[in-house]
Amino acid sequence: MKKSFRDFLADLDAAGELGRYRVPVDVRDVSALCAQSRQASLFDTLKDYPGWRLAGALLTTRKRLALAMDCAEDEVARRFEEGLGRLIEPVIVEDAPCQQVVITGDAIDLAAIPYPMMHLFDGGPYLSGTFVVSKDPEFGRNCGSYRLMYRSPNETGIDLVSPSDMRLYYQRRLDQGKPLEIAVAIGCHPYEMLAASYKAPIDLDEYWVAGGLHGSPVPLAKCKTVDLEVPADAELVLEGELLPIGWTADEGPFGEFSQISGDVKWNPVFRVKCITHRRDPIFYLLQMPWENDWLAAPVTEAAGLRALRNASVQPVDIRAPVGSCGYWTLIASIRKRPGEGKNALLALLSVAEVKLAIVTDEDIDIHNPDDLDWAMTFRVQADRDLIVVQGARGKHIDPSIKSWELGKGGLPTTAKLGIDATIPEGVPKKLYRRIRVYGQDRVKPEEYR
Amino acid sequence: MRLDMSPLASTLIREITDRPQQFHELVDAHREVPWPDFLRAWGELRRAEILNRDDDGNYLIREANAAS
Repeated sequence: MKKSFRDFLADLDAAGELGRYRVPVDVRDVSALCAQSRQASLFDTLKDYPGWRLAGALLTTRKRLALAMDCAEDEVARRFEEGLGRLIEPVIVEDAPCQQVVITGDAIDLAAIPYPMMHLFDGGPYLSGTFVVSKDPEFGRNCGSYRLMYRSPNETGIDLVSPSDMRLYYQRRLDQGKPLEIAVAIGCHPYEMLAASYKAPIDLDEYWVAGGLHGSPVPLAKCKTVDLEVPADAELVLEGELLPIGWTADEGPFGEFSQISGDVKWNPVFRVKCITHRRDPIFYLLQMPWENDWLAAPVTEAAGLRALRNASVQPVDIRAPVGSCGYWTLIASIRKRPGEGKNALLALLSVAEVKLAIVTDEDIDIHNPDDLDWAMTFRVQADRDLIVVQGARGKHIDPSIKSWELGKGGLPTTAKLGIDATIPEGVPKKLYRRIRVYGQDRVKPEEYR
Repeated sequence: MRLDMSPLASTLIREITDRPQQFHELVDAHREVPWPDFLRAWGELRRAEILNRDDDGNYLIREANAAS
């Protein structure tokens, strides 16, 4: 049975990971409360939004992500990879909970949903925890996650500056002078959010990935005004279209998942034609940056594992450190054969926008920074073991790539660095034999106290 | 005051005309207004297409509209 957003809230509650707020809260203050809570947050009453509740900061720790994925913390990458390996087709259902209330025409009012203030320097209130669906006649359905800045009761900004399948779909419609229909679901299970974060091949429908993660089909509802499908158990859905205006409307700044405030960008506009929601909706606030980073990590790690296996390299462990926002760095240990340190680097640097890859042998604990430093100190010769790739695909929010020098809608490139910290070919392994204290296993301190 | 706008929207225009402002400064200046009402007033400014931005993310009123 597929789990819903509400099932996940119940799981958090049962695990003691959900903090409840009973006193009515102003929506302008929910992000500040979420940021100060060690638990995930559920607000039972919102000032000026009768009938709404709000849940936020659900996945700000790897522990809670592991809870969502029903596995141990060090198993999330393999758990995600397992889901990718058993794709399951979604099913269409009738009487979807997400369509218990339908609002169209002049009644559309985005100010009537609890649009939160998130960060000090944001250009406006934002929807952050979105699951966005679009379709292209050639490539098929796509699901991703995009932030939406409030503009007016029926329009939002959308960040579409980075390369993505939906950006391509939009460009193809823009070339014809036509809008791109999209649907935005809010309040989906973390498996849907993980599937949306995954950079799937363009012809792979992320609903199948979400089904694989759940182990059962994702029930979908047909939208009311656009030719798209959304998760039937979502809390809230916005239907509409991206206007064919290109990258011309101001959007941002927004507190990015890079932990940086970001800057003003030029982006398209989303015009809402229909709002549907449950009778007793729970709004979802995805707390930046940690919630996004923890969602990114297993996706990046699983992509790294796949890349290594596709390169016929045997991975032992992998890590996308939170310091790199779970996105820009991959560290892997491998069971190495000659030359595979470099093969592994080439594979890892092919993953999305990963710009730093480090590969070690299997005897190194890549979760221990001291062990990693030791390997990079004694197994690396800078003239032999570094790989630099220039002009690869980059991401705007990395200030070091100077994206402000690009024109509106321009795409950045980045340099990538690989460090082969495996034992060099020709150097005997015995030279790395670690110190062991004489008698350490035999002599017991407590016997002498 | 623009005749086609609510009093709050007109106030926001005047404040931004006086000096460029971050969005949060406008929010802070009107905490007594219910959030949905503030958002609707902000929507009036957006629909009037009178807003511009500077490099620091401040909102400005476009020159041609400043005197409206």
